[in-house]
Amino acid sequence: MSDPAISIENLTKVFRLSLKRETLTAVRNLSLRVEPGQVYGLLGPNGSGKSTTMKIVLGLVAPTSGATRIFGRDSTDVSSREDVGFLPENPYFYKFLTGRETMHFFGKLCGLGGARLRDRSMELLELVGLRDAAGRRIGGYSKGMLQRIGLAQALIQDPRLLVLDEPTAGVDPAGSRDIRDLILKFKARGITVLLCSHLLGHVQEICDRVGILDRGVLVREGPLDELISIENQTELILENASAALLADIEQKALASGARIVDSRKPQTTLERYFLDVTGGPARRDP
Amino acid sequence: MSALPVTSHRSFSPSRVLAICSITLLELIRLKVFYILLLFSVAIIGSSLLMVDLTFQEEFQMLKDVSLGAMSIFTWLLAVLPTALLLPKDTEDRTLYTILAKPVGRFEYLLGKLLGVLCMVAIATVLMTAVSYVVLYVHEQSVIHSTARLVPPEQVQAATDSIRAAAFGVNLLPGVAVLYCKAALCAALTLFISTFSSSWIFTVSISVCVYLIGHVQSVARDAMQMKHPMGDAPLWNSLFLLVVTVFFPDLHIFSLVDDLAVGTPAPPLLIAEACGLGLAYTCGYLLLAYLMFAWKEL
Repeated sequence: MSDPAISIENLTKVFRLSLKRETLTAVRNLSLRVEPGQVYGLLGPNGSGKSTTMKIVLGLVAPTSGATRIFGRDSTDVSSREDVGFLPENPYFYKFLTGRETMHFFGKLCGLGGARLRDRSMELLELVGLRDAAGRRIGGYSKGMLQRIGLAQALIQDPRLLVLDEPTAGVDPAGSRDIRDLILKFKARGITVLLCSHLLGHVQEICDRVGILDRGVLVREGPLDELISIENQTELILENASAALLADIEQKALASGARIVDSRKPQTTLERYFLDVTGGPARRDP
Repeated sequence: MSALPVTSHRSFSPSRVLAICSITLLELIRLKVFYILLLFSVAIIGSSLLMVDLTFQEEFQMLKDVSLGAMSIFTWLLAVLPTALLLPKDTEDRTLYTILAKPVGRFEYLLGKLLGVLCMVAIATVLMTAVSYVVLYVHEQSVIHSTARLVPPEQVQAATDSIRAAAFGVNLLPGVAVLYCKAALCAALTLFISTFSSSWIFTVSISVCVYLIGHVQSVARDAMQMKHPMGDAPLWNSLFLLVVTVFFPDLHIFSLVDDLAVGTPAPPLLIAEACGLGLAYTCGYLLLAYLMFAWKEL
C-alpha cells in the first residue's frame, strides 16, 4: 500500500504570545490523511488553524507535538519538499523578473537547469496560459496572471502534491474558473491537491473530501458527497415535463406518504450567467 | 506534461545557493544601491579639486586618505542597510514562503542572501577603487606635466619617479582588502540581527551599536587592565568585559586602515590577521544567524 500524500497525526501547535505567558493553541490534536490523487479541501473560518496546518505541512512552522508526513517523509525534513508545490495566498514574486525568469529561478531551487529547465518552464507557462506574457515583468501582471504564474512555479519540479492557499482569492470569475479548471487537470494527472479556501462553492465543485476546522479542532471530515447530502430527500430534475405529468407525480408522491418539500424551476448560477455575458473563461488577460 | 526524472535531494547544493545569491544581487541592483557610488565619486573628485597650497606628496596623501575614508563609510553603508532590508522584505512579500516551500534549506537561503550582499559590496569596492585610481592617475599626470615645465630636463625623470612613487604606494590595495573584510563582517552581523529583529530600523540601530562597541571594547579592556594590573578587578566588571569580548567583534584591528591611509606600512601578517578575523567573524555570525533562523516560525 502506498504512503498517504499527507498524513497528520495528533498534531498540536501552541504559539507563545511574545513577552507574555499567554499561549494560543492554533491546532489541537489534529489527525487526517490525504490519499494520493485526492483533492482535499481544508475549510474553516479565519483563525481556525488552516494556515498553521498548511505551514506545518510545508515545514515552515514546527509542530508542538504530533507528526506530519508527506508521502512517508517527515515534513520537517527539507527533502520532503521535493514532492510539494506551494501556492501562497496572494502570491508575490520578484517584480523585476519576467515570467520566464521567475520560472527559471524556482526551477534552479529545485535542482533543474539547462535545456530541461527552459523546456519545462515554457511547457508550464503554456499550460497556465502565460506563454505570450513570458517575457513581461511580473510587476506588470494582473492578479489573475500572478495566481497562474504562482501555479506554474508550484509545478516546476513536477511535484506529486500541490498545496494551494486561497488560489482564487481576488481573481475575477473568468480567472477563477481558469484556475479551477487547472486544478481539475492536475487531478486528472494524478496530482494530489490540498486546497484551503473560503469560497465554499469552489471547494464543492472540485474537492473529493473535506475537513472543517474550527478553533483549531477538526469538527467534520469525510467525502464531500456524504457530508453534504440530505439522506432522507431525493432531487428529481425533469426536462420537457408536461403539467399533467408533474401533477401525476405529485399525487403519487403524496399517496405514498412522501412530503414534497419544494418544486421549482432550476436556476443557473450567477457565475455561469456572468461568464456567458462576459465571454467565458476562455478570455484571458492580455 | 512530461514527467521529470527523479533526482535525489542533497542537503547542501551550491546551485541553489547561487540561484539565491544571483537573485539577491539583482534585487540589490534594482534597489539602486549603486547610486551611492556617485556620492563617492563626487567626494573623491571634489577633494582633488579643493587641494590648494599643498605639496604633491600631501595632495596624493590626502586623496588616498579621503578615498579610504569614504570607502570605509560607503562599504559599511552598503553592507548594513540593504542586508537589514532583505529578510523583512522577503517575509512581508511572502517570497520567503515560496522559496522555503521548495527543497531549500534555511542555511542555503541565508548563505545565498549573504553572498548576494557580499557580491554587491565587492562590485562597489572594485568600482570605488577604480574611481580612486583614475582620480589619482589623472592628478599624477597633471602634477607630472606641471613639474616637467618647472624642473631642468635632466631632473624630469627623477621628479617623475618621485611623483609616481607618491601617487601609487603599495598601501591602497591592502587597505581596500581590509575594508572589504570589515564590511563582510558588518553584513553578516546585520543578517544575524535581522533573524530575530522585528523591524529593519531596529536591525540597523543594533548593528550600529555593536559596531561602536566593537570599536571601543579594546579601549575598555586596556583601561581596566591599567586600573587593575594585578587582575583584582570586581567580578561583575570582569564578567561584563568577558561577555562584551565574546559577543562583540573586536573592530579595533581594522583601524590599521587609518595607518595605511597616512602611508605607514603595515606588516603583511597584521593585514592577513585583520582579513582573517573579519572572515572568521563573518562565518561565526552566519552560523549564529542560521541557528536563530532554523528555529524561527515563519
